[in-house]
Amino acid sequence: MRKTHSPKLIGAAAAIAFALAASPALSSPARSGGGHDEQVDTGKPGKASNATRTVTVTMYDTYYEPEKLTFKEGETVRFIIENKGELVHEFNIATAAMHKAHAPEMMMMMEQGVLEPDKINMEAAKQMQAKMGHGLHKAPNSALLEPGKSAEIVWTFPEETEAELEYACNVPGHYESGMVGKIKLDD
Amino acid sequence: MSITRHMRAIGLGLSLALWLALPASAGTYDLTVDPVTIDTGEFTRSGIGYNGASPGPVLRFKEGEEVTINVTNNLSESTSVHWHGLILPFQQDGVPGISYPGIAAGETFTYRFPIQQSGTYWFHSHTGFQEPDGAYGAIVIEPKEREPFRYDREYVVQLADAHPHSGNRIWRNLKLMSDYYNRKQRTIFDFFSDVEEKGLGSTLADRRAWGNMRMMPTDIEDLQGVVPLINGKAPAQNWTGVFKPGERVRLRFINSSGMTYYDIRIPGLKMTVVQADGNTVQPVTVDEFRISVAEVFDVIVQPMEDKAYTIFAESMGRTAYARGTLAPREGMAAAVPDLRAPPLLTMGDMAGMAGMDGMDMAGMAGMDHSSMTQEKPAAGGHTMPDGMVMQGGMEQSPMDHSKMDRGAMAQEKPAAGGHSMPDGTAMPGSMEQSPMDHSQHDMTAGPANDPFYAPGSGLTPTAANGGKFLSYTDLKAQKPLYPYRKATREIELRLTGNMERYIWSINGVKFEDADPIRLQYGERVRIKFINETMMTHPMHLHGMWSILDNGSGKWNPIKHTVSVAPGTTLNMETEVDAPGQWAFHCHLSYHAEAGMFRMVVVEGGPSDKQAMAQPTTGNGG
Repeated sequence: MRKTHSPKLIGAAAAIAFALAASPALSSPARSGGGHDEQVDTGKPGKASNATRTVTVTMYDTYYEPEKLTFKEGETVRFIIENKGELVHEFNIATAAMHKAHAPEMMMMMEQGVLEPDKINMEAAKQMQAKMGHGLHKAPNSALLEPGKSAEIVWTFPEETEAELEYACNVPGHYESGMVGKIKLDD
Repeated sequence: MSITRHMRAIGLGLSLALWLALPASAGTYDLTVDPVTIDTGEFTRSGIGYNGASPGPVLRFKEGEEVTINVTNNLSESTSVHWHGLILPFQQDGVPGISYPGIAAGETFTYRFPIQQSGTYWFHSHTGFQEPDGAYGAIVIEPKEREPFRYDREYVVQLADAHPHSGNRIWRNLKLMSDYYNRKQRTIFDFFSDVEEKGLGSTLADRRAWGNMRMMPTDIEDLQGVVPLINGKAPAQNWTGVFKPGERVRLRFINSSGMTYYDIRIPGLKMTVVQADGNTVQPVTVDEFRISVAEVFDVIVQPMEDKAYTIFAESMGRTAYARGTLAPREGMAAAVPDLRAPPLLTMGDMAGMAGMDGMDMAGMAGMDHSSMTQEKPAAGGHTMPDGMVMQGGMEQSPMDHSKMDRGAMAQEKPAAGGHSMPDGTAMPGSMEQSPMDHSQHDMTAGPANDPFYAPGSGLTPTAANGGKFLSYTDLKAQKPLYPYRKATREIELRLTGNMERYIWSINGVKFEDADPIRLQYGERVRIKFINETMMTHPMHLHGMWSILDNGSGKWNPIKHTVSVAPGTTLNMETEVDAPGQWAFHCHLSYHAEAGMFRMVVVEGGPSDKQAMAQPTTGNGG
């Protein structure tokens, strides 16, 4: 699990690391009618200097390697996310309920032409933003990557939480076909 | 089928001992072709199976493996085995008269070919009507690399449409009377024949069933009266796949029916389609999908609750359904939905028929519907051979459409023009007002809109729960097998038919009168299907992939069977990369036999793989 990476990997960090942040569903899942997931602590953005390890998660069509992860509670982890597939993929740390709430937004992005199979159409994203009031935003817990792109996420996992965390791809159909991994937090 | 369950499990271990003795990259498998008893619970009849059962075993291969398959024919007639969707040398393709002469009674034929692909496929006899008589099984090929998706367990879900009559008998009846299986009118001779084939008790029960069905006001299929099966089990026999809640379950749906299309759903579950015809597609989550005869769809479901879910597969004409169950334990069952109302063919579906667009019915050569109209004078709809009811009241009295012109039609329409539909809905007859536009009569629910159906088609499917119904337009290859390039040549194939005489053909010529289609090795040929009939035809090209043009460009999906709806034009492209001679046909058993069939000869290419100078003997059906 412990790996080092040369900075150039992240390269011209032109890496598009976007997600639909500010989405009500993502920030407060309770609003989508879940209830039991109210107020769960999924962690927070961390500082790279606090990271105790660097983990590379590689995206393929349509699965991740590795397929599950184990960290310690409270640990800060630097993720290098690489898309080695030929399709757009997402890496998003949240609970299953949050992913489920996020899925319709991703479907909408696909329907609006923002999400093409192998690229993110920024022009369509702007139009969607203008038309519907929301589009692509950076979110600290996720990265949406075109093929060949990579991104870095630093995340501090919660000290104590009821949340069962998953990293998942919410591009329509991908979660359902198994592009999701469990994050286990040890004491 | 009681014996089936065990045989299917045993099939996995085919020649295991021998297999272990060989390098991992070479497997030997033994298949026997046997007379079997088909027991649907509703009728029992003799049929044909493999290794003593129908369906035959699930053959499990590994990509990269060299397989040797010994097929021993224990029948008293010739047989053959075709590996549906597999890419292989043409001599191994198993079509009598095209690949080889077939396998004579009592003989063993040894197939040898490399496995160059992965996914779900199937095998079946390509001789006569042995396939609808039960001669089919499944093929599962494990990929060299990991699967490009994840699941915890998997099941083959192989659909079929068992009929109490043998294929030969069905064929004779269809040729005698194309709507034989629509009419449900039987003779005393049929009765005695039934008794001989099925026994007295079964025949009497059957008679009652037929009698009951005669009361139905509408809706019969080309071949009506089938018992849909899942893995050999009738609805009451309830094939069950066990799961643990939360698991991802891969269901490998294969439609091995002779004639029946199915609309499949699992109430309470979304299905994510991950492969079509063995090829991985960008996953698409749906509530329901239609599977044409010979097609394959792999879906992943994730049942979360500790309860049973019904796999419900309605025939496209809504005359019958297959039913199975996914459940945490054996013996459980969930509610079984009712069949929905039969679809109604519209004038949109008729759009492809010659002369229709010009309003000149004289162009409908041979389309004499008079016998059909006799069948249901009160129903107010044409019952077409595929069991669809054509809406709109063209026929108040038996008429010969071949003599019909616009004027004659107007004259024949009574001014009242109203039709009482079977469900009691009154339908305004509007031939006079807008002679050909019956779209306003569309009684199917929903804003169904799918470019793979004619505008206003009555066949366009909608999901029972109002959700997403899979369209061909949703299918996008995940890793396109071939670089995208412009086709080098286009071939137009009109799908044609004379329903009254039960002749099905291509470009108006049936197989026995047709020259082969000649392709050159290395070309990319675009095949333009124009369906001029009122039936849906699942077209299957052997030996080479059919790249369906669904407008996705480089992502166009790769299939082995493409379904062409009535009144539509569908394009597919083929990279001509397999020398030899191949079958190319409608996969509806009785349409293929009737002549909607061609031999494709691929000229040129590596000399060691070229076609033999002269065709083998025998017929191509």
